[in-house]
Amino acid sequence: MPKKRNWFLLRLLGVVLGGIFFYAGLQKHYHAYEFAEAVLAYQLAPMWLAGVVAAVLPWVELIAGGLLVAGLKRRSCLLLLTLLTASFLVILVVTMARGLKIDCGCGLFFQTEVGPVSMLQDTVLLVWAGGLYWWELTAVSSKQ
Amino acid sequence: MLRRFLKQDLVWAAFLLILAAAFGLVKHWGLVNLSFQGKLAAHLEEVRAHRRQVQFQGVKTLKLAQAYELFQQGQTLFIDARKPQEYAELHIQGAVNLPPEKLREPDNPALTSIDKARRIVVYCGEANCDVALQVAEKLQSQGFTQVAAFLEGFKAWDEAGYPADTSK
Repeated sequence: MPKKRNWFLLRLLGVVLGGIFFYAGLQKHYHAYEFAEAVLAYQLAPMWLAGVVAAVLPWVELIAGGLLVAGLKRRSCLLLLTLLTASFLVILVVTMARGLKIDCGCGLFFQTEVGPVSMLQDTVLLVWAGGLYWWELTAVSSKQ
Repeated sequence: MLRRFLKQDLVWAAFLLILAAAFGLVKHWGLVNLSFQGKLAAHLEEVRAHRRQVQFQGVKTLKLAQAYELFQQGQTLFIDARKPQEYAELHIQGAVNLPPEKLREPDNPALTSIDKARRIVVYCGEANCDVALQVAEKLQSQGFTQVAAFLEGFKAWDEAGYPADTSK
């Protein structure tokens, strides 16, 4: 019984995580030009790549988040989100080290500057997605 | 076994990434095309200027040269709308710090001591921040009659080598 309860809780955590990313993707999709401005502010990618990132990244979040909520291809979605948050954490560290004071483009409900708060937020999402992925992966391989 | 599943997951993750790329490129082709042509930054500036015109209509704006001319005349009060930590690091010489949250405080002595008819120039960090416009608009609504926002911000001022200091 406790195992079943754990399973339900972990599935619920997956749905909530998917919902967060779906919402974030939707925000970026509908404000693509503002998001492109945020991507350019990092001064990490050439302009042509910044445009591609601003166009594609919202859809990565929409598809991975949406499928996670729907319970389809959960492990792949979690893996994708883990890689996404891990890469973003590296970008945040580099940006902080460079001393840039810019909007992170990652705030869900209000603007957040690149700094400890955005790093903490991303770390929580990374542990959340990575932890769930590891749990699902070990659970399915132990069944086989 | 773990490795086999990991491999499967990676393949599916790559497929989802390709799917997202296809949707993103199709849905935002205008944006991607502008960035390929190297016109994205200019277009974003246009979009920003248009948005500001609509959102902050009635707020006078200044260019770097105009702001410096007023600074040289010595009558204008410069208001730094950035966060206190940024202000403490370096700011336009003689500027006072007034971030938007301080404007919400009723009877703020920093505000009540300023003559409503005094010429005021508000600035923030750089060209793409809206805080200077927000503060300028708020000051206008509180009865200050000669307020302008210096849009290029402290970054441009500092890069031009104009007077800046750390004192309060």
